Amino acid sequence: MRAGTKLLALCASALALTLPAAAVSQAAELRTNINADPAMVDPITYSELIAGDVMANVYEGFVGLDTEGNVIPALAESWEPHEDGLGFRFKLRSGVKFHSGRSFGAKDVKYTFEQLLIPGNRGGLNAEYLDTVVGAQAVKDGKTTDLEGVTVVDELTLDVRFTKADVLFPIYPFYFMDAGIVEEHGADWATKASAGTGPFKFKAWNLGRDVQLEAFADYWGGAPKIDGVRFLIVPSGDTAVSMYEAGELDVVYVDTQTIRRVLKDPQFKDEMLTAPAAQIRYLGMNQNLYEPFKDIRVREAICIGFDRDAMVDGLYDGAAFPLYGQVTPGVAGYNPDLPAIPYDPERAKKLLAEAGYPNGEGLPPIKVTDTEPNKNDITYYANQFSSVLGMPVEVEIVERGSHIKRMNAGEVPFFPWGWSAGYPDALYFLSQVWYGPSTYNRSRWQNDAFDALIEEAQGTADAKARYALYNKAEKILLDDWGTCPTTVRMQVALVKPNVEGVSLTPFRFLPFGDAQVTE
Amino acid sequence: MIEYAARRLAGLLGVWFLAIVITFVAVQFVPGDPIMALLSDRSGDADLEARLRADYGLDRPLPVQFLDYLAHIADGTFGLSFRFANTTVFDVISGGLLISPILAITAILIAVPLGVVLGVFAAQRANSWADTAVILGLVSGISIPNFAMAAFLVYLLSIKWSVLPVAGWGTPQHLVMPVLILVIPPTAYVARLTRTYMLEVLQQDFVRTARAKGLRERLVIYRHALKNTFVPLLTTVGIIFGGLLSGTFVVETIFNIPGLGRLAIESIFARDYPVTMTIVLLFTMFYSIINLIVDLAYTALDPRIRLTNTKA
Repeated sequence: MRAGTKLLALCASALALTLPAAAVSQAAELRTNINADPAMVDPITYSELIAGDVMANVYEGFVGLDTEGNVIPALAESWEPHEDGLGFRFKLRSGVKFHSGRSFGAKDVKYTFEQLLIPGNRGGLNAEYLDTVVGAQAVKDGKTTDLEGVTVVDELTLDVRFTKADVLFPIYPFYFMDAGIVEEHGADWATKASAGTGPFKFKAWNLGRDVQLEAFADYWGGAPKIDGVRFLIVPSGDTAVSMYEAGELDVVYVDTQTIRRVLKDPQFKDEMLTAPAAQIRYLGMNQNLYEPFKDIRVREAICIGFDRDAMVDGLYDGAAFPLYGQVTPGVAGYNPDLPAIPYDPERAKKLLAEAGYPNGEGLPPIKVTDTEPNKNDITYYANQFSSVLGMPVEVEIVERGSHIKRMNAGEVPFFPWGWSAGYPDALYFLSQVWYGPSTYNRSRWQNDAFDALIEEAQGTADAKARYALYNKAEKILLDDWGTCPTTVRMQVALVKPNVEGVSLTPFRFLPFGDAQVTE
Repeated sequence: MIEYAARRLAGLLGVWFLAIVITFVAVQFVPGDPIMALLSDRSGDADLEARLRADYGLDRPLPVQFLDYLAHIADGTFGLSFRFANTTVFDVISGGLLISPILAITAILIAVPLGVVLGVFAAQRANSWADTAVILGLVSGISIPNFAMAAFLVYLLSIKWSVLPVAGWGTPQHLVMPVLILVIPPTAYVARLTRTYMLEVLQQDFVRTARAKGLRERLVIYRHALKNTFVPLLTTVGIIFGGLLSGTFVVETIFNIPGLGRLAIESIFARDYPVTMTIVLLFTMFYSIINLIVDLAYTALDPRIRLTNTKA
C-alpha cells in the first residue's frame, strides 16, 4: 500500500507539470461559445457557419450590417453602377489599415477575388459571388490568374464589370484580405497571421479548445473597448449554458436542443436576446417524381394539412414562428402582409376528394425524407398526412451528405428542408431555391413568369422597384402552392448584465467591435 | 523474461496491424461519402468533387488507398483530416493526445487502492450492516448513469457553490469532477472483487496458521491475506482501463475536455474518417500496452506464471 501511495503522489505531481498553467482570466476579454472548431480561419476556403462567426470579427467586405440588420457601407464608401448596368465603380474607404499595418486599397480587393477563383485554392462560399464577373471563368479554368473584369483604377477606386447584370454585387459578404500576407508569412499564413481589416486580429487557434482574437487598435471604426474575444469550443449546448450560469462565458449562442431549458428558466428572462434566423424552411414536393403532386389541389391540401402553430410549440419549444412565404423577416424584400396559411383539415380532405383521392384512396405510397436530427419533423408530417388526409406516407431518415446530393440532383420527391441567406436580400432565397435553373431548386418547381421576374430583379438597381418584383414573384410561387412554407427558427442568445453592445441579428451576432465588459 | 516481453511486443504489432485493417475496412461500409459531406450544398459541382477526391487520394483503388494509409501512419502524419482544411491528422490530435490516458490512469490510480480498501473493510465485516452499507453504496454508485451524476455534480459544485469550473481543461480543478465520475464504476468493481477474493483467502489454512501463531489481525490481513488477492486483481486492471477509455468519450463530451474521446465523437459525426481511424488505432495501442504491462507485472509478482510461460 505504501508503494501505491507514493506512486499516486508521483503521478499527481507529474500530472500537475503536464497540465498548462491556469488561464489568467481578463476582465476585458469577451468569452463566447462556438459548438465546434471552425473548419478554417482563412477568407479564401471559408465555407461554413462557425468559421463565419469567427471571421466576421476579423475580415470585412464592401458593406456591413447595423444593429437593425440593415446594410451599411464598410470598406466601400460609395459605388456607382456603370451606364450599361453591367458593373460598378467602387470608391473605397480611405485610411483603412490591415492588421499588418499596410494600407487597404483596390489592389487587395482584386487580389482577394483572384485568390477565390484560382483552382488550386479551393475557394469557398464567396467564390460563388464572382460568377458574373468578366473573366472569372478563365481564372477558374486555370488559364490565367489575372481577373480581367476587375480593374484597379487608382489606389482607392475599383472597377468591376459583369457578363450580366448583378445589382446586388456590392452587398455580397466578401472578406477582403491583405495582398501582402503570403509574401510576408508564406502560403500557410492563415494560422500564423491576421490578414483582415476588422475590429479584431486573429491571435491563436487551439484546436478543440478556443479561438482567440485580440483588439485591433488601429481599426478604422475606432478601437474596440475590450481587449479581445475568446471563442470557446463547446460542442454540448447544455454545457455551454452551465458555463454561462457559472460565469465562465459572458455571451452564449443557445443551440436548438438547449432552448427549452433557457426559455423555461425565469432567471434568464432579462439576459436573453432573440432574433428570427435568416433561414427559410419549406416542404418540397417534386412534381416529376410523384404524379399526384402535379395537381394543385393535392399541393394545397398538403400545405393546409399540417398545423404550424402546433409545430412551433410541440417541436421547437416555442422558439420559432409560422412562415407564410419564402422570405424571412429581417431580410430586405420581406412581405409582412402575406395572408396566414390556415390549418384546415376539412378543406384539405375536400380538395383531395375533388382531385380524385377521397380519404386518400388511390394515392401511391410516398416517403418523406430528412436527416436524423430532424426525425421528429418528418414523423409529425408522416403521421399528420396519413391520419388526416389518408395519404400513405412513410418516414425515411438518411445521411446528410448523400441526401443533399440526391436533392441537388432532383431525386427526392418529398422533403422538408431549409436555406440560410448569405446576404440580407430576398433575392438570395428566391433566386437560389425557386428560380428554375438553380441547382438548389431541389424540388424542381418551375414557372416561367417567376423566372422572368427574378431575372428582371437581378437587373433592377432601384430597391423599392426590386422589392415589388420579389413580392410579385413570391405570390406566383405561393398561389401555385409550389411549396409549403413551414416555420422560421428563432435564435436565442444569453448576454450577462455586465456586457453591453452585443447585437443578435437574423445573421447571428454582429461583430463584437462595440462590445463592452464591465466589472 | 526478456524473451517473453519481446515475444509479447511482437504480438502487439500484429494486434495493431489487425486494428488498422479492421478500421480501414469498417470505414468503407459506413453509409455516407466524406466528400459529399465536405461539399455539402455544392455537391452538384463535379469539378470541385473530382479535385477533392484527388487531393485526398480517394480516386485511387482501395488497395492503393490502404497502402497510402500505411505510408501516412509510417511518416507520422496519419494523412489529411477531411474536416479541417489543409491539416494533417497528427496536427488535429496532437494537442489532446495524452488527455484521455491521463484521465484513465488518474482514475485507475484512485479507483484501485480505494476499491481494495473498501473491499477489505467489507470482507472483514462480512454480512454485518457495515458490509451491506458499503456494497449498497457502491452498487447505487454504478447504477446512476454517469451523465445524470455529472449534471448533478455540475449543478451542485459549479453553479450552486462555485467551487469547481463547469467544464474545460488546463488546471487541476478541471480534473476533479471528470475523474470523480470515472472513478465510481471501477471502484465498485474492484471493491466487490476484493471482498470476494478476501473472503476466499480468509478461509484458507495459512490464514488460520497465522492467526493461531498469534499474529495481530492487521498483519494477517495486510501481509498474508491481501497479497494473495493481488494477482487476480491485477488481471482486471487491463479490463478496467478499457472501460475507462470508453468512459472518456462521455465524460470528455459532458465536461468539454479537448481529448481524443470528445474528438472521436466529433469526427464520427463530421465524417472525418482519417481522424476517427487514427483515434481507434491509438486507443487500441493504449489498451494493448496497458495489458502488456499488466501481464509483465504479474509474471513478476507470481513466479508460477513466469515459469509456465517460459516453458511454453
